[in-house]
Parts: sequence; C-alpha cells; structure tokens
Amino acid sequence: MDIFSNISLILDAKTLALILGSTITGVLIGALPGLSSGMAIALLLPFTIYLEPSQAIAAMAALYCGGTFGGSITAILINAPGAPPAAATAFDGFPMAQKGQAGKALGMAAVSSVVGGVISLMVLITFAPTLARIAYKFGPPEYFALAIFGLSMLASISSKSPVKNLIGGLIGLFVATIGVHLTTGISRFTFGVDELFEGISFVPVLIGLFAMSEILVQASKSELLLERIKFSAIKLPSISEFKSCGKSILRSSGIGTFIGILPAEGGTVSAMIGYNEARRWSKNKENFGKGEIEGVAAPESANNAATGGAMIPTLALGIPGSATTAVILGGFQIHGLRAGPYLFEQQPDLLYTIFYGMLLANFIFLVFGLMGAKIFSRISLIPRGYLWPSVFVFCLVGSYGLSQSMVDVYIMLISGVMGFFLRRYGFSPAPIIMGIVLGELVENSLAQSIIIFDQNIFMFFTRPICLLFFGLTFLSLFYRPIKNLIMKGKKDE
Amino acid sequence: MIKKIQSIFLCFALVVTSFVGMGQVATIAIAADFPSKPIEVVTHAGLGGGTDTTARMLLIRTRKNLKNNAYITPKKGDSGNKAMAYVKSKPKDGHTVLAITPTHLFRMARGEAALTIDDFVGVARTTVDPIVIFVNAKSPYKTIEDLIKAGNKKPIKYGGTNVGSVDHISGLIFAREAKTKIAFVPFEGGGAIMTSLVGNQIEAAGLNLDEGKDQLDAGELRVLAVMADQRMAALPDTPTLKEKGINASFATVRGVVVLKGTPQSAIDKLEKGFLKAMKHPVYQNYLQGAGLDSSSVAGSKAWDSEIKSIYKEARAALVSLGLAK
Repeated sequence: MDIFSNISLILDAKTLALILGSTITGVLIGALPGLSSGMAIALLLPFTIYLEPSQAIAAMAALYCGGTFGGSITAILINAPGAPPAAATAFDGFPMAQKGQAGKALGMAAVSSVVGGVISLMVLITFAPTLARIAYKFGPPEYFALAIFGLSMLASISSKSPVKNLIGGLIGLFVATIGVHLTTGISRFTFGVDELFEGISFVPVLIGLFAMSEILVQASKSELLLERIKFSAIKLPSISEFKSCGKSILRSSGIGTFIGILPAEGGTVSAMIGYNEARRWSKNKENFGKGEIEGVAAPESANNAATGGAMIPTLALGIPGSATTAVILGGFQIHGLRAGPYLFEQQPDLLYTIFYGMLLANFIFLVFGLMGAKIFSRISLIPRGYLWPSVFVFCLVGSYGLSQSMVDVYIMLISGVMGFFLRRYGFSPAPIIMGIVLGELVENSLAQSIIIFDQNIFMFFTRPICLLFFGLTFLSLFYRPIKNLIMKGKKDE
Repeated sequence: MIKKIQSIFLCFALVVTSFVGMGQVATIAIAADFPSKPIEVVTHAGLGGGTDTTARMLLIRTRKNLKNNAYITPKKGDSGNKAMAYVKSKPKDGHTVLAITPTHLFRMARGEAALTIDDFVGVARTTVDPIVIFVNAKSPYKTIEDLIKAGNKKPIKYGGTNVGSVDHISGLIFAREAKTKIAFVPFEGGGAIMTSLVGNQIEAAGLNLDEGKDQLDAGELRVLAVMADQRMAALPDTPTLKEKGINASFATVRGVVVLKGTPQSAIDKLEKGFLKAMKHPVYQNYLQGAGLDSSSVAGSKAWDSEIKSIYKEARAALVSLGLAK
C-alpha cells in the first residue's frame, strides 16, 4: 500500500533527529504556560530555511503535536494549563494529582493523546481532500449554530450547581465582549487602554483563573493540614482503567477531528465538548471535577485529535485550521511551497513526510510522556511552601511573555483574585472558560449572519447544518425533562 | 535539606542578577557609530502573521549585511497605534525601526494617533500585494461590470477584514467610484473570507491574490479586477479598476520606516542593508511563495513618497465616507 511504502521518506538520521528534537521541544514549550507551540514555530521559522522543505514542515508539524500534548503536564501537576486546549484537562487532572494520582493522570493523558492524535492522522491521510470540504459548508450561520450548541453545555459542564455554572458562563461571555466589535468597529469596555482594543487575551485569563487562584487557595490553607501525598503518586494507570476510558477516548477523538477541521474552532473547544460529552455519558457523573480519570482521557484525546483535524484544511485547501497551522502555512511560503489541492496530487512525498513526521511525533511523546510521568509526577510531592511560590513566578512570566505587555500581567492577577473568590463561593472555572472561548464566535457569527441574511434571522432555519445543531441543542437542554415527562406519563397509565 | 535548597536558590539568583547587570553595561556603552547596538524592528501584529513573517525573513540577511544583530518586538494594540507610541518613545538614532502597513496609515488618518505622517521617513518597501476582487466561479458575475450592475439592484455582500481596514475602505471607495452598492461583511481574517466565498455565503470579496490563489487555480473562484494602477504579473488577463475608469487602487503594502530626525547616514546604511537582504534568494523565495515578485521591493525615496500618497488618499477617503473629521 502507498502509505507504507513511503515510510522510507523519514528514515534518515537527520530527519529522525529533527522530529525527535522538535517533538520534545514542543512538549516542553507546550508545558510552560504562556509559551505556545504556535509561538515557538513562528520564532523558529527563519531558521528552517536551512533545512530541506519537507524536513522543515515535518519538524514544525511534530512540534505542533508535541506542544498540544505538553499542555496537559502542567495542567495536571500545578493546575496551570500550558496551553488553552489543556484547560479542560485541568478540571479533573489537577484534583487527581491532589489525591496522589498524578502518575495515573499523566499516563492517561499520554495514552489518550496518542490515540486521539493517531486516529486524526489516519483520517487526514485517507479522507483529507473530501473532508476538507466540510470547511466550505461552514459559513457564519453554521458557526453560530455550533456555538449555540456549545453554550448549551454551560449549565452541565461542571458538577457544581447549574445556576452557578450559568452565572459563570455569563461572566465568560461578558469578558468576551471587551474590545472592538467586529461589524461596527465600536470599542467596548476598553476604558482607553490600547491593549484591550483587540479584546482580553485568553491566556492570561486562563493562567489567572486556574493557576493564580490555586496559589491563593493553597496559601489560605493552614499549614497544619499539610498532608504529604503518598508515594503512589508515581503509579501509572492500570489496563482496566484504560479500558474503562476506551469509549470516551474514541468519542472524543471523533469530536476533536471534526471540530479541528473547522477553521474557526480548534483544540480548546474540542476538549471542552469532549469533556462534557464524556461527563454526559459516564456512569460516574458525580465524580467529574473531583478527579475522574475519564475527565482526563476525554479532553486530551479530543485536543490532540484536533491537531490532525486542523491539518486537514491546512494541507488540503491551504486554509489554516488553527492559529498554529496558520504559522505552519507561513512555513510553506518561506520555502516557496503551496499547500492546497495540488499538494495531494503533485507532491505526495511532502504530504507523506508530514504525515509520518506527525505520526512519529505521537509515538515519541507517548514514550516520553509515559517515562516522564514517573519523573514529572514527583512534582506533586514537592512541599507546598516551595512549589506554589515558584508557580507564581511561572504565572507572571507566562502572562507577560505572550505579548510582552504588563496589561496581560494585570489581567492575570485580576482574574486570579476573581477566580479565588468565585471558587470560594462554589463557582467552577469551566463555564467561565467556555463562555470566553465561545463568546467571540457566537457574537461575530451572529452579526455576520444577520448581514448575510439581509436582517432576517428566520433564514437560520433554511440551513440544514444549522437545523442539525439547533436540534442537538434542544436535545441537550430538554433531554431529561422530556424523558421524565414520558416516564411520568407511563406511570400514570 | 532546606539549606541545600536555599543555597541552590542563591546561586540561581546570583546568575540571574549578573546577567541583568551585563545587559545594563552593554546599553551604557553606546558608540556614536551606526549601528552600535542591535536593531529593533517593531511590529503591530502577532507572531506568525504576514507582517511578522515578512519582518523575520527580511532580518535573516539584514543581520549579515549590517554585521549586527536585529530582533522583533511585537506591540499589539489599537490598529498599530501602540507600536507607533512605542517607537515614538525611542531615540532617533536608527536603531528602532517600525514595520508599517496600511493599518498604521489608516489609523493615523482617523486622527489622534501617537505619530503623524510627518513624523517618520520611509526606509524600504518589503511587499506590495494589491487587493483583488474575487467572486465564486459559479456566480453569474463574469465581469466587473456584471457585479456593478447587480449591486445597483441589491447591495452586493462583500467580504473583507475588520471595519476601518484597507479591505473595508477599498470596498467602500470601489462602490462609490463605480456607483454601485455593497453590504460589507467583516471577517476575522483572509482564510474565513475565502471559505465563505467558496461556500457561497457572500457574493464578492477583496482579498490578496495569495489568499485565494489555490481556489482560483482549482476553479472554485474567479477574479474580476485588480485594485491597482498596473495589471499584476501573475494575473495578466485580469483588468485593473483603473482601466475600467474606476479610481480605486489599494494594496496591502508593507515596509519599514524610522523616525524623522534620524541621521541620514544611518538611514542610508539601513536602506542598503535591507535592499541587499531582499535581493537574496532567501527573501525572493519567500515573495514567490506568497505569489509576489521582486517588484515588491523599493528603496527609501520611492517608499517615502508612496506612504505619503497612501496616507493622503486614506485621509480623503475616510473624510468623504464620514469616518474621520
């Protein structure tokens, strides 16, 4: 078969070494909050001109894979998602680490990441040209319907009270409105601060809500209560635990691949939806948010599946499927190459090099992740008094480094303090993050749709994909009341 | 145990402070010669975007030509105004270079920007990318006249990037000059515009050639006209709006400028270094990958007068559209 005969493309020492190096760099950069794989690729772009084009692109793609996985390490260990797609991993990963199961969480993250990544790559190599056309079917109205479906999960995304989840979601939506409005160009809630014109940057808010608020929580605990976590922290998950997560991993891989293909959405939304669906169908619903291993497997397989998914429109159409793939497309340009339909027809060698590069990257971080899990999990054994102050430094550097702006540091600190009080009063960060992630999409796509529909919002109902997502939204909201009603009706008879 | 950690921490602190100290010594020792310290290129956009990548590709060979280091500082915010304010705060010695785009010029034209058009001098132009009017290949609009006629019956849904951008203004000026009507649909970026056009969500769009090139080659999109004074080498059969008697020439131009008052000798050295870098295959390859050619590159004099004329047109356009006083 074609796929296998081409493996020789990456079997030379230089290419292998490059892929190995890029993957591990990716994992480490992904793990550091505030440093993203997209940023790393952008900084390394100029240096890739000294490489063969196919090697350069394969190295970038490998870095992308590694980076998405890397985010989970810090999310689990110190509640500081290294990259936005890992936010959902922190929901259950960090509680697991707190319970002394860091190794299990890290091991599960590595394995489910690889499964998600490999599934999406298989889809990429077999169906990319066909599937990429989904991107064309999604215009603003379809994105609006998808975002509405996403928002329908707000109430249920954490096991905290649904009302509080909804309030949290509204806070997130409000934060997303800060900045210049897309269709009118009017600036809102910026108070003359230039940095806010392009909206609140997501990463500082993420670092603040998770890591910074965690520091405050840890600081407010009395030192007497300090319990040393048992040494079992470095244990990896058992086979039966993997098996119990199988369904969630597969479901999330599908969700991640599909959402990854859509250019306007990527790893973060995939992970959130993957997490929520895992919770919806799980037997241990109540355990989510308190350290449920399925709650780590689902978002991790979803966000890594989204990397392969995002490469589909990038390679097949030349449309970036995510921020990082946009930079990879820049890499094509630097080498005078073009992505797009004819990459598949005329340059299969390049395509296969990228495919194998990413596949290999997945296996490298599997080994690295599993071996590393035993080492990294020891971080959870560091006494609190030493660990959290150093996390604080991470938070500061991470939020500043993004665009070298102090405003981002203030945003991080403010969201940290807000997050602390919100958590104290029983709010979960999950719906807030969801609100911020989807807020911009829902607002922009609605505004665009209204122009496209000549101000007639009923036109939404003439679109099949919109109807499908509206239907799913309806089911997601009213599934239980309807079921209860039917059950009650049966009882009455 | 605790002692050990403390001593490690102390060592670390020592190393860090000594590095910081070194940096200060280096900045104190400024020589009169140019360049006497690394050159800072200030951009207004995120890492990996067009402006950032162009600047990085430019610097690869510039470093060698000037035998000096150079780095990029991104200052995002308020359509380039943040970057302009930052450059304004720097000494006029040629070590701080602003990567400028129409975004900056339109921001200035709107008024109350940190710099005015007379505050800087053009050093070199790096890219010229005219705006091309695209439609779906299956649409009934075969020529630009068809589109103009259709717009008179019902405003054309015309996609572009955000309000106040060169896409937006060029679309409005095109409509005014061609005596037709458009309903502008803003998008977050070129990729989204292109997918919406192929997916028939919008009827026409102003894009850079590169953004729609693959779909054009694949027969999914059609080009109607180029917003330029001369036809593009890559699109020899596509008329310009000027040929059609419509006075609307707009392009995504990029280039570098320094503050006015910078010694001419420094400007000359920078210009020479940049121009030589852009002649190198490294940069030329990059231009080709973006669907452009060597005509993108221009020197200080040509670029300086071009910025001023773009600004003048932008200002007139914004005033006539009621978007600036």
